[in-house]
Amino acid sequence: MSYEGVLEQSDSGLRELVEAGEEIIGYIYPHTPLELILAHGFTPSLMRAIPGITSGFEESLQTFACSYIRNLYNQRTNEQLPPISGLLFPGNTCDSLQNLTDIWKVRFSEDRVFRLTYPVTRYANDDSAEIYLTKELEILSSTIESTLDRPFTTDNYERAVSLIREFRLDAQFLYAARVVDPEVLSYTELARLVRSFLSAPVTSVGSEIHRVTLLVKEKLKSKGLLGIIDSILSGLQKKDLSKVNSFKPPSGPRLLVVGGMVEPQAIATIINGIDSVDDSILILDLLSFGFKSVFAPPINRSGNPFEEMAKSILAAPGEPTQEGLRYRMDFLKDLVKALHIDGLIICEQSFCDPDQFEAPSIEKAASAAGIRTVRIPLDPELSDRARIEVKIQTFLESLGIS
Amino acid sequence: MTEMKKEEKVYRQLESNKLLQQIMFQNMLMGHQASEENRLAWVTSGFPVEIPVAMDVGVSYPEQYGAIVGSQKVGPEVCGYAEDIGYSQELCSYARASIGSVENPDNSPMEGLPKPQALLAGNNICGTVLRWYDAISEQTGAPVFLFDTPPIEDEQPDHHKEYVRRGIERLVAFLGTTFNKTLTDERMQEVADLSSKALGLWTKSLTACKTSPSPLNCADRFLAMGPVVSMRGTELIIDFYQSLLDEVEMRVKEGLGAIRDEKIRLLWDNIPPWHSIFKFFNGLAKRGVVFPADTYTHAWSGKIEGDDLFGSVVSIYSNVYLNKGLNAKIDKMCKMIKDYNLDGFVMFSVRSCKRYSLGQLVSKEIVAERTGVPGVVIEGDMVDSRVYNEAQIQTRVDALLEMFM
Ligand code: SF4
Ligand code: SF4
Repeated sequence: MSYEGVLEQSDSGLRELVEAGEEIIGYIYPHTPLELILAHGFTPSLMRAIPGITSGFEESLQTFACSYIRNLYNQRTNEQLPPISGLLFPGNTCDSLQNLTDIWKVRFSEDRVFRLTYPVTRYANDDSAEIYLTKELEILSSTIESTLDRPFTTDNYERAVSLIREFRLDAQFLYAARVVDPEVLSYTELARLVRSFLSAPVTSVGSEIHRVTLLVKEKLKSKGLLGIIDSILSGLQKKDLSKVNSFKPPSGPRLLVVGGMVEPQAIATIINGIDSVDDSILILDLLSFGFKSVFAPPINRSGNPFEEMAKSILAAPGEPTQEGLRYRMDFLKDLVKALHIDGLIICEQSFCDPDQFEAPSIEKAASAAGIRTVRIPLDPELSDRARIEVKIQTFLESLGIS
Repeated sequence: MTEMKKEEKVYRQLESNKLLQQIMFQNMLMGHQASEENRLAWVTSGFPVEIPVAMDVGVSYPEQYGAIVGSQKVGPEVCGYAEDIGYSQELCSYARASIGSVENPDNSPMEGLPKPQALLAGNNICGTVLRWYDAISEQTGAPVFLFDTPPIEDEQPDHHKEYVRRGIERLVAFLGTTFNKTLTDERMQEVADLSSKALGLWTKSLTACKTSPSPLNCADRFLAMGPVVSMRGTELIIDFYQSLLDEVEMRVKEGLGAIRDEKIRLLWDNIPPWHSIFKFFNGLAKRGVVFPADTYTHAWSGKIEGDDLFGSVVSIYSNVYLNKGLNAKIDKMCKMIKDYNLDGFVMFSVRSCKRYSLGQLVSKEIVAERTGVPGVVIEGDMVDSRVYNEAQIQTRVDALLEMFM
């Protein structure tokens, strides 16, 4: 299937919602409080970069804006965004998104634009970031209420917490399961499921993921693998792989994909497009819209909603936009060792500061762990797809995989 | 030689530059001494430097070093050393220049900056600085302290203030444990007073440029701002800013401009092209173009004062130009154009700096519309001359100037 076809398939839930008259708030950044948007009676939908719309930004953005924001902007000028009631941007993450929000507000003053400004601090050993983010979430909630006339309701919130908790626990299990038995579910399918949920976090999509999870569990139980999967799952959840039980991986190459706001489905499409390999070589990703979205801890329903949402966001796996390079690299080194990774594919969105600054550190960390790497510059158009495939193929050959 | 004579004709050198060179040299020596004594921190330009200074921690400025790399026209080489170890050419050239110089000091100007024992990053100028300092930390082993100042849209809300204040408290604790130093109220007050005094003198020199002819041009200010950026809070720089102000006031009194024949007054937006700074501004000076104001050198203006010095630090360092939204930038440019009686503006779209540059295409339209004066956007880089197309820039600037003919 073409990349466009793959994307379309995972957006079917969103289309159905729109047709059913549901109101959508689009969001851009992976660590968005989905529960909060759902609590106001809106459906949050991740606005993804899509191929095929290459112009429209020129009057407002220079060419050195990252390819992701250029793509989003093109979608807006070409009226390709789905119908949405509002758009939630992040503040204090990267310079491109920070400035894009300002530009958007001026250029599309009729759009309802919200901004949630995150703390960058993660390792302060005090409660300042949590207090700050809690307040930001409260303000966002009251702004949504006053702008769109929909209050936060406890019923909606509680339903949202359950829905997202179940999604996270299921998807986390599937991620851990693939580490042990990558054939049990293709990476393409996992990426599609996660993407479908992030596009339309609704019960029907959650139930589909749950059904797949039960099937996968069944299969792995019969193979006697549930114990080791639990151990890996717990290590990934705690971001500490030192206590993961040792295991013998199945034969075959084992690759890890790392990067930021690149589309997991794009990676899967590229890998599957390469002759004589399939995506079972991808054991795990550490991408923003994959692992890092899935492994944010579920919310504790009994606490104060805003505090609990803040805690969950702050405890999500670290992004290169945040403090903590050393912690991220230590985690990576432990991870490649504990999960028997053979090679790393490092994805970099073109003109993305966070990706491009982190890449050399990832190379160093991988090299310290004795792992080979390849760096893949990407844009949402996959404009260099043929060259990327050759590059990955050469890399696989260097690992003895072909 | 002939070229120099011609330049002397159109452009007046500042006498106070001699003093400037002396104190910048002295600053460099102080940096080396601090490093040898294991008490040197590298700091970003928007960092509340008064605090490390008050705690007797020496400071060096990698951004200033980047400017030196640019001015010495070795940007492509020094940035190249960072690219050789994997840093993309698309990244900020200040960052690349400093990463490159740490990687290859022997082939970098002044053998790079002295080795730091801590890295103090304030993200009020951009998000890039944290990632850049993290990279330096990997190279040098010095720990990074992040001073996080979430960007502000309108008024700074109370929870922002409280959060930033907690950051300052952590900074004092971090410097205390890293350098075994303490901060006393007296010393903080003393440094704040010195900082405010220098800023007061500097601001007076800047505002004197409202006069026509303007006593200072862009390059003058870009050079003269060095000490106020890197040595705020020290006694050493007061004499310089006093003598600069004296000279500026003398020029105003005698009707002497920074350029001999002022015809067109323009606003400059963004960092200058350090590699071509004299060529660019002096070239325009020959055509009667002066830049009495710019958004960059005006960024250092907030004074730390009042009973609550930390509260004042919070407010000043959160409200810096680059930490505010597009509307605030547009307002400031419009105000400068009015206050300094400017005929137009030049926006340098710096490929390195997304925080400063993304938005310029929009603000250009709005500023022109609101003020009724024309502007132009030129694209390039401040350090990396490989992405500076002189001919293209010349054509664009010519097109702007034709509008005044
Ligand atoms: S791709 Fe990178 S630069 Fe672009 S919005 Fe995402 S984090 Fe920012
Ligand atoms: S030039 Fe721009 S990106 Fe680079 S350090 Fe300065 S503010 Fe940050």
